[in-house]
This record gives sequence, C-alpha cells and structure tokens, in this order.
Amino acid sequence: MNALPFAFANPAVLLALLSLPVIWWLLRLTPPRPQTEAFPPLKILASVLKREETPAQSPWWLTLLRMLLAAAVILALADPVVNQRTTTLATGPMVLLIDNSWASAADWQRRLDTAHALVDDAEAQDVPVSTVFTADRNHDATPANAATAREKLAAAGPQPLVPDRRRALQAIRESLGGTTPGTIAFISDGVKSDDTDTVLADLATLKPQDLRLIEGDSTKTIALTAAANGADQMTVSASRLAGTNAASYTLIAQDGQGRPIASGALAFAAGETAAAGTIAAPFEMRNDFARISIEGQASAGSVHLLDDGFKRRRVALLTGEAGDDFQPLLSPLYYINRALQPYADLIEPKVPDLAQSIPEILAGNPSVVIMADIGRLPAETYEPMQRWIANGGTLIRFAGPRLAAAPADDPLVPVILRQGERAFGGALSWAEPQPLADFPAFGPFAGMARPDGILVKRQVLAEPTPDLAERTWASLADGTPLVTVRNVNGGRIVLFHVSAEATWSDLPISGHFVEMLRRIVQLSRSGGASAETGAATTAEALPPFRLLTAEGVLSTETGDAKPLDPHRDLSKVASTFDNPPGLYGSEDGFTALNLLPAGTTLQRLDPATAGMAVTLDSLIGEEAWSAKPALFTLAFLLLVADSLIVLFMGGAFARRLRPAAGAAMILVSAFAAATLLPMSEARADDSKPGDDIIMERLNNTHLAYVITGEPDVDRMSELGLNGLTDYLTYRTTLEPSPPVGVDISKDELSLFPIIYWPISASAPMPSNSTISRIDAYMRAGGTVLFDTRDQFSALDTSGAPTANGERLQAILGNLDIPPLEPVPTDHVLTKSFYLLSNFPGRYSGSPLWIEARQDARNGSSAGTQSGDGVSPIMITGNDFAGAWAIDANGAAVLPTVPPDETQRDYAFRTGVNIMMYMLTGNYKADQVHIPALLERLGQ
Amino acid sequence: MASIGQIVEQTPGRDALTRARQRAVLVPDCMVEAKRIANTVIAGWHGRRKRGIGENFWQFRPYADGESLSRIDWRRSARDDHTYVRDREWEAAHTIWLWADMSPSMMYKSTLAQASKESRALVLMLALAEILARSGERIGCPGVMDPISARNAAERLATALMHTPLSGGLPDTTMIRGASDIVLIGDFLDSADEVMARLSPLARRGLRGHVVEIADPAEEAFPYSGRTEFTDPETGEKLVAGRAETIREDYRRAYFARRENLGGSLRYLGWNFVSHRTDHLASEALVAVHMYLSGMPGRATHGGQL
Repeated sequence: MNALPFAFANPAVLLALLSLPVIWWLLRLTPPRPQTEAFPPLKILASVLKREETPAQSPWWLTLLRMLLAAAVILALADPVVNQRTTTLATGPMVLLIDNSWASAADWQRRLDTAHALVDDAEAQDVPVSTVFTADRNHDATPANAATAREKLAAAGPQPLVPDRRRALQAIRESLGGTTPGTIAFISDGVKSDDTDTVLADLATLKPQDLRLIEGDSTKTIALTAAANGADQMTVSASRLAGTNAASYTLIAQDGQGRPIASGALAFAAGETAAAGTIAAPFEMRNDFARISIEGQASAGSVHLLDDGFKRRRVALLTGEAGDDFQPLLSPLYYINRALQPYADLIEPKVPDLAQSIPEILAGNPSVVIMADIGRLPAETYEPMQRWIANGGTLIRFAGPRLAAAPADDPLVPVILRQGERAFGGALSWAEPQPLADFPAFGPFAGMARPDGILVKRQVLAEPTPDLAERTWASLADGTPLVTVRNVNGGRIVLFHVSAEATWSDLPISGHFVEMLRRIVQLSRSGGASAETGAATTAEALPPFRLLTAEGVLSTETGDAKPLDPHRDLSKVASTFDNPPGLYGSEDGFTALNLLPAGTTLQRLDPATAGMAVTLDSLIGEEAWSAKPALFTLAFLLLVADSLIVLFMGGAFARRLRPAAGAAMILVSAFAAATLLPMSEARADDSKPGDDIIMERLNNTHLAYVITGEPDVDRMSELGLNGLTDYLTYRTTLEPSPPVGVDISKDELSLFPIIYWPISASAPMPSNSTISRIDAYMRAGGTVLFDTRDQFSALDTSGAPTANGERLQAILGNLDIPPLEPVPTDHVLTKSFYLLSNFPGRYSGSPLWIEARQDARNGSSAGTQSGDGVSPIMITGNDFAGAWAIDANGAAVLPTVPPDETQRDYAFRTGVNIMMYMLTGNYKADQVHIPALLERLGQ
Repeated sequence: MASIGQIVEQTPGRDALTRARQRAVLVPDCMVEAKRIANTVIAGWHGRRKRGIGENFWQFRPYADGESLSRIDWRRSARDDHTYVRDREWEAAHTIWLWADMSPSMMYKSTLAQASKESRALVLMLALAEILARSGERIGCPGVMDPISARNAAERLATALMHTPLSGGLPDTTMIRGASDIVLIGDFLDSADEVMARLSPLARRGLRGHVVEIADPAEEAFPYSGRTEFTDPETGEKLVAGRAETIREDYRRAYFARRENLGGSLRYLGWNFVSHRTDHLASEALVAVHMYLSGMPGRATHGGQL
C-alpha cells in the first residue's frame, strides 16, 4: 500500500506546481489607483477611450492568496484519493460470511475484491478461513487455507434469491465445533432476509474477537414488490433500503420480446422507503407488458415479471331490460359495472337488439360476457356464443325473472334449472331468507371468508344431478347451490342463481360480490379465443420456463429449479432455491414468480442488534474519499475572496459603504456564504415572459390594429393610428400611448378597447381558431372596426362586392355578429364628441355600419336611444387610417379623395367620436337625456 | 494632485438674480422680433410696426389674387382703378419660455472657469427674463411658472424657482401652444440624436427655439494627464484612462463634432444655437441670444465665437 494515507489519481498534473513561480511573477502586477475626476461629458469620452493599463505591484498577501488558489486548482486536478483499510486480523480462524443474494449483484465484483483482500490478510497472518455464501443451497464452512477460499470465491456468483442466513450460520456453527473464531467478516447486502432475521446476534453468540460488518452502497438497493393494473395506468410498488434522500427513478415496461414499450416514474420522498410508481399507457399496450424494471438497476429485485393472469380482461355486459337512467339502483348492470370497473375493461353493446349486439361484442374478443337476467337469446346467436365459449370464453349469467321463466333446455346454463324461482320468507312461506354457507375448498372462491349478513330471499333452483356438488362454487346454508359452473371445452359457463340487483338477495351490495366477480374474471383467459388447453384450475405443476438471473435478466438456464405448484397464490410466495424467480409453464402459457412476495418492505440490518461491538467497514474501491470537490470548493472560496479584495482595493465600496464598511463586509461575506450553500428552496415565481408587456398595455390605453401581414397596409394602419393618437392627445383628455399592432392569432386582445382591422383581399385569410379568438374578443366587450378601404373601387356599375368586401364576408361568415345598420342620425356616435352627420375617411360616402339598436330591431319608435353597451362591430369602406396617417413631421401621408383638407379634419373628428363612443359607452348616450332628467327633477 | 473639476452646490436664486440684474443692465431692451403669426398671442400694449392683427391702420396695399374679397377696402379702391386691401398694425405681446437644465452634470466647475455651468445658466435665464420683461414680453418657465407679463418678471421667476427648483431633463411642454419662443439653456452633452429627439417635437409644434449650450473650458480643452478615473456625475459611471493626455486630440475632435452636429441639426429646424463657455463673460451669451430674439442674426456668428 501507499505510504501516504492518500494517493493521486493523476500524479502527472502535479508537475504543474512547477509553474507556480511564473504565476507568482505575473500576479505581482496590478494597476495603481487612478486620479479621480468628475467629468460630465463622459459619454463622449467613452466613445474615444481605448483600454490601456499601467501595471504596478500588488501587495504580497494578495499574491499569496492567488498562489494558494492556483495550487488548490492544481491539487484538485491531480485528484487525491483517501482510502484506508484496516488490515490486521484477530488471531483464530477467520469466518468470511458473504451475502450472494439479489441485492449483492450490482457490486458483486467489489464484494469479491473485498473478500479477496480479507483472504490475503488472512494468508499473511496465516489464519484459516471459513467461507460461507448465504444464498447457496449447500454450505461447506470448514476452515481451510487461503487457496481453497480463493477457489470458493472464484466459483461463487450472486443468486436471484433472498439469503438464507440461518442455514449458513448453522453450517458455520457446525464447522467451528466450539472453536472461538478470531475475526468474523460479514460482507452483507444490508437487507434483513425476513422479520425474524437475527444474523448479527447469532454471529455474536459465536463470541468472535472481532465482528466486522462490511456493507456496500445501500442506496442502490431497490426492489419492485408489486404491480397492479389499474383502470388507466399500472401502479408499481417499490421498496428501498436507505430512505434519507428523495430519489426518482424511471420505470421501464418491456414486452415479451424485451422491447421497452412504455415508461413511468417512480419517486421516493425523502425519508420514505416505500413508493408507488405509475406507468400510464393504453389498455392494449399494458396487456403487452411482460416485465417492469427500474432503469439503471441490474438486480433480480428491481425486475417485476408479469404473466397472463395479470392482464386486464375485457368484459362485455348484456342485459335483458333497457337501462333506466332514472333508477340506476334497480338496473342489474349497475352493480356489476361498479364491481368490475377497477379490474376489467367493460364494454357494453351500442344497440339494445341482442341479435345485433352479441355478434358485435363477440367480435371484440371479450374474455368474459356477463348476461344479467336474459331468458332466451335470439336463436341465431346461440351458435356463435357456444363457439366462443368453446374457444375459451367465460360466460357469467345472473338469474332474474326472465331466466326463471325461460324454458329448461337452454344450452348456455351450467345446470338444469327448474322453471320458476324459489322464494324464502314472505307471507305464504315458512322458510326464512337464507345466508350463505362456507365456500367449498375448490373453485375460485376457496379461501374467502364466509360472508356474514348476506341473505338470499329468492333464487332459481337447479335440478339435482350427481355432479351438482362438484360444480357448485358457492351454496346457501341449506345446501342449495348459489353459484354453479360448467366447463365447456376451454371455456366456462357460470351462473349466479340470484339476480344482479339487490331485489333477490343482498349479495350485489356486499363486498363479496366484488371479490367473487373479480376472481371469476381473473380465472378467464386473457384473450377471448385461444388454444385448446385445460382451465387453469386443472393445470399440472408448471415446469421452469425462463428464470431470472441475479442481474435481472431472463435466461433459459433452468439449473436445478423444480416445477412450481400453481395452486398457491403466487403474489404471496417468496422465491426459494427450488423455485427461483422466473416464468414457469410453457411458451403458450406461463406464470410469473417474482423474487419478493407482494407488499414486502426492505428492512435494514441493524448493527445494534448484534449485542457486541461491530466494526463497520465498506467495500474496497468505493468509499475512497476523493478530496477533489473539497479542493475545488476551497479554490472557489479563494476566488470569491480575491474578487472582493480587488473590489475593495479598486474602491468599489468606498463611496457607498465607508460609514458602515465593517457591517458591509459582514453582509458581503454572509451573502457569499449563502450563495455557496446548496440552494435548498426555490422561490415560487409565477411570472411569465410577456407579463411586462401586458402590464404596460393594461396601464395605458392603446389604439390597436390588426397586423395583416402586408407591409404597406400595416404601415398605413400604424401611421393612421399614430395620427389619431396625436389628434386625440391634442384635442381631448384622452391621451393614448403609441398604437400597437396585434397578431390576432397570438396576442392578448382583451387589453384593447378597439381593434382596427383593414381588410385586404391579398392578405392571408385568418384561420378558424383566429376567427374564434376575434369572436371571443367581441363577445367580451371589445370592438372591431373593419375597414374595407374600397369605397371608390366599389363604385363600378355592377354593384358586385369588391375583393376586400368578399374577404370581409368570408371573415364575418364565421363570426357570430348581430344585425347591422348604418349609424342612425340620432345615434350617440354622431354626438359623442363632435356633432357629425357622416363619417368620412380618405373617401366619403360609405356608411358606417354598426350593430342595430335593440329598439330599432323590435320595431318600436326610434325616439329613445337604447344606450346599452357599445356596438361590438363597425364596418366602413372609407379608409379611416389613410385619412389619419401623418408622417413624423406631422404632414398627411395620403391625399383625401376628393382632395379636401376639411374632409380630413372630419375624418379625425370621426375617429375622436368613435374613440369617445368606445371608452364612454352608454355614458355619452345618457348625456342626451340630461335635459329631460333635469326637467323631471324640477317637477 | 488636486482635481481640475469639482461638483458644486446649487446656486441660491437670490444670488443669481443679483448677478443677472448686473448683466441685464448692460443689454438694451429686447423686443422680440415676431416672424410668425401666433394663434395664442394676446393683444399687447405696443405696436409692432408691422402689419397684422390690431386696431390701428397700417397701410393700404394692392389686392392680390386669392385673398378674401371681404378684406378689400372698397372706399379706397373706389378712388382709382386699383383694388386695395387695408392692413392693420400688429399689436401683440410675445410669449417667451425660458428653461435651464439643472441636471447633475451642470453642477460642475473646473479650475479654469469663473462659475459653474449651473450658475451661469441660471444667470443667463434670469437676465433674459429681466430684459424681456422690460420690453413687455410675457415670460414663462415650463413646469415652474405660467407666462406672466410684468415688469418684475425676473424677480417672480427667481421666486418661483426657489419654490420649484428646476430639475434635469426637459419638463412637460405640452402646455406650450402655438408659436411661442423658447430659450433652452443647458450643456446638451447627450448625443445630438438624443437631444434632437427631445427637441424636434417642440419644433414640429411650431415653437421657435434658441438653444444656449453652456460648456466648461475643461470639457473643451481636456487638460488631464496621467492615469485618471473619470466619473459621470449623472450616472455615476466610471471610466479609467491609462494616460489621459494620449486621447486629448481624439476627445476634442469628438466633442466639437457633437457640437457641430447639434448646431447643424438645430439650424435645420430653423432654431438658433449659441455656444457659451463659462470662462467667458455671461453678457456675451446674453447679447448673442438678444440678437437672435430681436431678429438680427446677421451680426451673430456661429460656433460660440462672438
């Protein structure tokens, strides 16, 4: 080993230390403090000043600081690694107990290295070594020399199993035969094998002189313990060993060929050792999942194998009566629906006609068809139904008045039924309503507790046959069958002798109903029609098909694995030597056995339970502590200190902070320290980009125009609205901010009282979503001023609409606009600021169309103004913007037609009136009534 | 080495008024030459010896095509074959707006100068007010004092300034309507484009402007040498020149180019531009502005050299 307690990963970098004298010479130079002068025309000076500096000496301690900085960086690059290990062993035989379980697979090589190092130490001190692996089938703990131990180590490998430490300890105890061991080194995976695992205490009973517990990085020990197929996602439970920090992992779901087809997230909260991850995927895709693994984890525990039984079934529901939406609690399908919704995908026929709906749902390949109270099916549907059952379908029927009245020769009933039903209780009956008997030991309901409190008041009765008892899955207390079954080739017909709603019995409203249905559905084949094999209940013991290795890979190597008894609930079975985790069965159908039973939590092996002093150690090559980050941090701190010193010397803080220089220094250093600490919390900040623009537009009134995409039109709109803005500022109290061009497909429109929209036939037609934005804007109280700018081009003789007019029609065609009328003579627009009789722009003559007033629409007299709101739309052809447009010098850009400056002035007045109308709304309209109101008040 | 330039305190209004009076005594009354017809004029108390709006007869002149027929003086026209129009003498007082920049960059006085730029600007402004008030013009100061027509306008302006100290930057001038005159006094150290961006809206509104640029001799001559750190009193920005003497020529070129640029742009607007240095006498600038105001620009030369 190295004489120093640390070694350099890149010792060559240390040669760079030779350059320190050169750096020292360079660092001695820093410019002197300049003469300070106030100088107002600094901007002019800045434009001519070139940077040049006169070097001078800097203080020695600053140089030293910088030298330290450079040295720290060089040392950090050389990457010193501190790695110490105790090498002395106690006298007496050494016991090497090694976990080769699933959790040791990830760092197996390092575990081997550690073991080898220990064997080397033992060889150096001439101590026999007893080597035991906990997950092996046979243990040979005889103390032997180092060479034998090395052979054992070379032969060992991680197993996809939970360690069986009790047997290993037994072997050690036997081989020692009372000899006190010197050192016991336990290279552990850190996981308690079960709740009663007392391995450390047992080791302590051997009275070793030195008990060492050597553990790897336990943060990587994660196991998937269960997976549940939910309604719209798959939920995966996971457990981990060390739960201090929050951690998140990616779950990968792979199909039978090993291709990843979906992924999900698994996140452990800080301090939590259990977590549930979800994989959201469509139902069809989830049925293709064959295994779920954690990305980046290679151990048998981080893989969860799925089999057919896991897939969600497709269940079709049929009922004889039309659904009554108003009384759902009386509908038989309601209870079935509620019971099966979490476990299966339910399909219901689209048409009530059974002759159509049965072929339709059979085409959907359901696993299960549930018929609630259907007496007779249409004749032509029996044949496909029977074929489907023979191909492996499961038909579940519920009794009911219709079935009770049906003839007895129905082939789709498991037993021969007596016609009519049997009623318990009631005025004319001696019999009491019957509870359920215990479930028989066979059948899917085996193991369920006997339901209490379920009373059956009415049922259909089966004709007794010799095999009736073995075809009965559940019966009443008096022995009459409640659930009967008949296997038909690959399929099965199940009959509940009660109805599916709560009138005949309490069963549908009990939790057992859910469980019973779930188990029956689980029994069914996952795919509707498949090969002819026997039902799962009659299957033989399953031979190993594919087994999981400790690294979490499926292999065809079955080794000495034994066939699996399929009658046990595999989710509660832990894997053993005989049945290691993997797939059992054949290619046609297999069952998955996972490493850990469902709901397992990984528990840490606590050294305190040993009852004696335990030396904790870590694996070789891992927790060698690298000084690199610390050195870099030091270098960074020095850099910060250096910067602060330079700033102080340059006088950056002198002016502002001299009175409180000390306090400022503390503040600055505190701030530096705060920035260096890891930022644990992030402040919520809900501001979005563009908020400042919205705030600005909210604070000021802006005129807005639609950016049509044609530069000349847009420029004219901008100049025009500029002109109107100037005019408004000059003439009225309204002082709008500069006009804004809006992209109606993206920008927030609700900030503008009015949007000027010059229609151009050559501009791109706005999309439907854009039109709907405009519609929403108009609904929310905004106004759009459409300007077709074609008053004179419209003067051709034909009277046909112009291109711009057609475009306007196309736009308005998608808008929900009110009826329009030209501005009436007494409309508030004619007097909101100036008194106007017409509304000219560059052209005059085109009427200004606005929303027709309510009273005018109703045909009443036009004497009073409605004064209610503002017209959401205005249409003109007079080219307002053209008249308003002024250039930077205040001169008009375009001449009016005819060239008459009075008309331009009237155009501006029109703009003022429109803006006043926009912003004051019915206030101006109400002003009209003031004389009348005053007159009334006077009375 | 002691600094060449220093930042000074604001000059007290009373002090500036006294000095302004002394300057104003040296300069004759200034009757503002009225070139344009203003909408906002208020009938004044002395004739302008020009035709315009007024009560008194000024002259008959031949009728020119395009003039309103209602202006023809038919009585005079009946005397001979020509048609005459009666002109009247314009009687109006003119409104002069005075404004001085009091931004931090003006609070500067170098060892070469007699007074700080701010003090000189204040003196010029009050002296102008005194001269103009003597001849009955209406004096106003945007943001400080509404236009008044009074003999003691200078005192009232000084009082108003004491209550409402001028700040830097051109104040809101939207209340200035029509064709008034405005006298702007300041150092105008921003780039010519920025200054013009501020001033050209005024010009567009029809204001007639007279810009007096006050400069400190140190700003023009750049008498610095050695390693020097320059500080902008407005922004606090710092700039370090390694050897200040090496950039003197470049700086002077840039400085005068800016002045030429500004003067040219202002003249293009039809405004007048006077440059004044604080080591010269205040009356020099006063006389120059006086000449411009009274419509005798021919005797003034440009570029600050009187």
